Amino acid sequence: MMSGSNLENVLRSGTFAVTGELGPPKSGDMEVVRKKARILKGHVDAVNITDCQTAIVRMSSLTAGLIALSEGVEPVMQMTCRDRNRIGMQADILGASALGIKNLLCLTGDHQKFGNHPQAKGVFDMDSIQLLQMVKGMRDEKRFQCGEEIKKAEPRLFLGCAANPFADPFEFRPVRLAKKVEAGADFVQTQIIYNVEKFKKFMEIARDLGIHEKCFILAGVTPPKSLGMARYMKKFVPGLDVTDDVIQRLQDAKDQKEEGIDICVDIIKQVQDIPGVSGVHVMAIEWEEAVPEIVKRAGLSQRPEPKGIEPVLSSSGAIDEAVEKARREARLELEGELKKVKAEADASRDLLAKEKEKVASEISGLKKQVEEAKSMVSRKEAEIQKLTEELQKAKEAVSGTAAPAPVASKEAVAGVQEATVTVSSGALSAREQQVLSSLNKGLVALKEVLGLNDAQFEAMRRFLEAEFMLQLGTAVRETAQVTEAPQVQAEAPPAAVTPAPAAEPVEEERPAEEEKPQRPKEVVNLVAQGNVALHAKDFKKAVELFKKALEISPEDEKAKEGLEEARKALLEEKEAADKAVKIKEVEGLPPCPDEIDPDEWKRKWVVRFTARGNVALMKGDFETAKKEFQKALDLDPDYEKAKDGLARAEKGEDIFIPDVKPGEVEAAAPAPEEKKIEKEAAEAKEEKPAKEEAVQEKPAPPEEAKEEAVKEAPKPKAKVEISAPAGEGVGELEVAPLPKDEPPLEERAKGIPEEVYKEPCTGVIQSVTIGDGDKAITVGGETALPFHAFEGEIPNLPRTAFEVLDSPPEEWPEVLLKYYSDVVNDSAAWARKCVNEFGAQAICLSLDSTDPNGANVSSADAAQVAKKVIEAVDVPIILWGCGNAEKDTETLREITGLVENRNVCIGPLTDANYRTLGATAMAFQYPVVASTPIDVNLAKQLNILLENLGVHLDHILMDPSIGAVGYGLEYTYSVMERIRLAALTQQDEKLSPPIICNLGREVWKAKETRLPTDAELGDQEKRGVLMEAITASTLLLAGGELTVMRHPKAINLTNVLVEGML
Amino acid sequence: MIIAERKPMKELLEMVSDVKRLLIVGCRGCVAVCSAGGDKEVSILSAALRLGVKRAGGEIDIHEDTLVRQCDPEYIEPLNDKGAKYDAVLSMACGVGVNFVADRCPDVNVLPALNTTFYGANLSSGEWKEMCAGCGACVLHLTGGLCPVARCAKSLSNGPCGGSQGGRCEINPDVDCIWQQIYDKLSSMNRKEELRQIMPIRDWTTAGHGGPRRRIREDLLP
Repeated sequence: MMSGSNLENVLRSGTFAVTGELGPPKSGDMEVVRKKARILKGHVDAVNITDCQTAIVRMSSLTAGLIALSEGVEPVMQMTCRDRNRIGMQADILGASALGIKNLLCLTGDHQKFGNHPQAKGVFDMDSIQLLQMVKGMRDEKRFQCGEEIKKAEPRLFLGCAANPFADPFEFRPVRLAKKVEAGADFVQTQIIYNVEKFKKFMEIARDLGIHEKCFILAGVTPPKSLGMARYMKKFVPGLDVTDDVIQRLQDAKDQKEEGIDICVDIIKQVQDIPGVSGVHVMAIEWEEAVPEIVKRAGLSQRPEPKGIEPVLSSSGAIDEAVEKARREARLELEGELKKVKAEADASRDLLAKEKEKVASEISGLKKQVEEAKSMVSRKEAEIQKLTEELQKAKEAVSGTAAPAPVASKEAVAGVQEATVTVSSGALSAREQQVLSSLNKGLVALKEVLGLNDAQFEAMRRFLEAEFMLQLGTAVRETAQVTEAPQVQAEAPPAAVTPAPAAEPVEEERPAEEEKPQRPKEVVNLVAQGNVALHAKDFKKAVELFKKALEISPEDEKAKEGLEEARKALLEEKEAADKAVKIKEVEGLPPCPDEIDPDEWKRKWVVRFTARGNVALMKGDFETAKKEFQKALDLDPDYEKAKDGLARAEKGEDIFIPDVKPGEVEAAAPAPEEKKIEKEAAEAKEEKPAKEEAVQEKPAPPEEAKEEAVKEAPKPKAKVEISAPAGEGVGELEVAPLPKDEPPLEERAKGIPEEVYKEPCTGVIQSVTIGDGDKAITVGGETALPFHAFEGEIPNLPRTAFEVLDSPPEEWPEVLLKYYSDVVNDSAAWARKCVNEFGAQAICLSLDSTDPNGANVSSADAAQVAKKVIEAVDVPIILWGCGNAEKDTETLREITGLVENRNVCIGPLTDANYRTLGATAMAFQYPVVASTPIDVNLAKQLNILLENLGVHLDHILMDPSIGAVGYGLEYTYSVMERIRLAALTQQDEKLSPPIICNLGREVWKAKETRLPTDAELGDQEKRGVLMEAITASTLLLAGGELTVMRHPKAINLTNVLVEGML
Repeated sequence: MIIAERKPMKELLEMVSDVKRLLIVGCRGCVAVCSAGGDKEVSILSAALRLGVKRAGGEIDIHEDTLVRQCDPEYIEPLNDKGAKYDAVLSMACGVGVNFVADRCPDVNVLPALNTTFYGANLSSGEWKEMCAGCGACVLHLTGGLCPVARCAKSLSNGPCGGSQGGRCEINPDVDCIWQQIYDKLSSMNRKEELRQIMPIRDWTTAGHGGPRRRIREDLLP
């Protein structure tokens, strides 16, 4: 005997064996196994417990086998090679053997692909034959697969295997079975047999190989439950040969189940007759109930008395008992745990109660202290009262006794100076001395009680002394008063500052008492209480108290003062409250949207009113301007721009654009109703050359005139002093103004309702001012889209800065360079030339030479150059770094150190250096250029970062990165347009700073500006100029407010366009 | 030869989503032969990635290069300097190449463009089949030159399982049952008796289950 299992016993006894099959549940439900086992019990000799058949996860074969065993059914544990390697398998085998499993069926296993976890890694450390070898070795040689000895209790197992007579190659199937037997199989269970003929052939070969003598062969059978099941098996189960005869029988059957059982019984009967078949393996898949019937009908119901079924877990009762025991233990343990937790909870509750008590006692202690402090205060008051009375008495006594003596008065003065109450004893009577000494004692006591410092005490003593002396004789009265007055002033502040609120009434009372000891006590008290109330900000109460005091003593100065103060405070409080309410609904403002802070809203409107005022001012409509500015000032009386504007409007100054001289305006555009001063000037000039001359005689004429002056470049130096005669007013740099023959929009749109063509914006662009004094320029401030002057206010025209380099340009084409060729070596001269000859309104100094990847000029040197440039011209300066964040930080900081008193604009600030440069800019209140790659969100982000840092949005110029025409202009355009729309139509304040477009550098590095003149591309200079001007005008249309450009002609073209359109 | 196939574009696009400058490096070894990672595939992938990134609204600067082999130090040595200038190097070599670049070029962020699939042969244009598992313990002399380790779904050693039907494997009718073929081959060679021998349980240490494998030939060592 290999294992002593019932199956082995039955087979060895020669009895035709019957085995069944039990599929464990796809759950942990033990009852399922038990139920199936009970159905099979007594009808089969052993039951196969499948091991996750078809690779679907189920209760493990070992576990379900043990449950079956506990029901008195002998399990045949199945083991596949799919899920475990040799380590796991041997471990399970040991465990199975220990728990009473005696039969083991060794299988390779269905491929995981068929199961419910097809992604699993198939182990297949070995195949079924090697598994048989391994288990046989464990059993017979007491060795693990590795060769190591199993020292005790080797697994005694009756080993089985499977064979499929219907798989290919058919001839090899018996050979393979022979291999399994050789490897260790004691019995074999075949695949389900329907094709008995084929099985017979298989058995023939098997017998030839002598297999039937070496192992027990059990024929596998399955009752087809239905026609559908039979068809399914025929079609889809590999290696299963369902004959047409079986299908036919089921088809013809009245009761398919009944027929299925009959088919199964027939097959059993047929295989029983095949020599070498020792039994049948009835696989009633999920139809266990059929097994007893099949066995009965097959005449196999007389099963031998089971032997060797000795469950380690003897029965369900045992299991129940074990479970019950485990439960009991668990309950006990839990109860113990619970008790412990309860005890802990109680303990912590006690602790908490104790803590509470402690805290309560502490609180009551504190309360007591407070009470004590209070009673101390009242005690002190009483003491003071007493002292005052004493003093009164003393005074009375003194005045009653001593005759006025000049000596005494002198002594008194001396005493004051020496800061002691040492009234000469010779001059005073004994009684007086007694009074004095008691007074002194009282004072010392008072000092202690009041906690006065020496200086306060000293001062107080002097008052009393002086008072004392006063009472001594009227002769010294005045002297004493003189002494008293300044001291009161000196004393008052420290007394007021003295902390300890409880002592306050006392302190407040004290000076009053000292000054006017004759004040009634009530008044004194009332005033004191009033002061307390005043301190506590209870102004109403204070007013009442002071009033009461005055009722009693109408002349009491202290009470009057207090009343005054309290009333004022009360009034202020009321005003503040009113103001808080008002802000929400300032008169004339549309209701504040919820998402905007009322202050913020107000501020927006302040800016807007100011902008409107400026526009009106520019139009010469002073009345409107005044109104607008007044509105702005009503909202914010401290708004400098509005104040400025109002002052101008009142003066009748219509000069708002700082760079246009009053003289020019007078000469060119005297009529206040003219829309644009500059344009008017241009027109005037065109029409009346005589006037133009006048204009040119001004120190800083409008651009047109300047251009004329420079027309004969490149010999400009001679013309620096701008004295070009009018006759020469046609030069290559000059640009004729745009014709203005269009009637105004209002006229053209007559009859069309405004809302049809007007789409007013709700946002406002920040106004940013660069530069100092009357040369300063302001950009932004508009409440309309670019050039949409009919929809809102555009108070400031777009501006252009001339680009000046800090070193001779290396790659400028000659057509551009020729205008600056005489000044390229001196940046300051270059800037001067731009201003004086080309009428530059601003200069942008590009610090290209500092680039670490280029000339890498030191920051200190660059700063010197910048300083010179800044000093050379008075127009606004933009300092533009090389683009290397670190170097720019260094350079720009260096420069700001040298020129802190000029309002320069610095840039570019990027996300890499905005912190350091932003802080510098903030310190000096410089406007900055916030530079970001072409992207709305990045631009907004940087503005937010700068604002968080403390740089106000009205100190930021956005540089969204520029592309020249043909070089990404359209990207720039759309980004700028979106920025502007967000600011104006969505009130996205974080995108509201004006936009600066440094475009000259982009245009003049384009290939098209460098190719020489030829027939196809035309004149090189004209080409470059047009590229720059078109780029500029496009960007202005997209929302640019400030451009940085290079070619004077291109700049003139752009300006003419701007002026013509606005 | 090592067979590989390009990873799905989606996976590759995710892989390079943070990359601004990318170098795609092909290999003229096995992967070029199996049309997965040669010069041609490098260009195709480069164009596809450019388009893909652009479509996703990103920007990427892609450069291309192809090495003779990515599994020899002499060829990948220059890649350390060159690759370091890029955010990432997308290797179109097999896993060996990717690993070797990662080992030898510490400054390079190397990414795999391919899934290395198997050791196989080119059946016909566009079709490759696994032939070897690299298990390190060849038994081909016993099986008529046909590998049961690489070509049997369960890597059986002792003949076909019960799922062999009509010469096909049970897992997929498109898959040949290699044991049927072994049986046929040995039968035709009159060697089928050999199949009665039980092939003992295998030692998988040579197949990589004993840790990463390494081969040293003393005579060739420098």
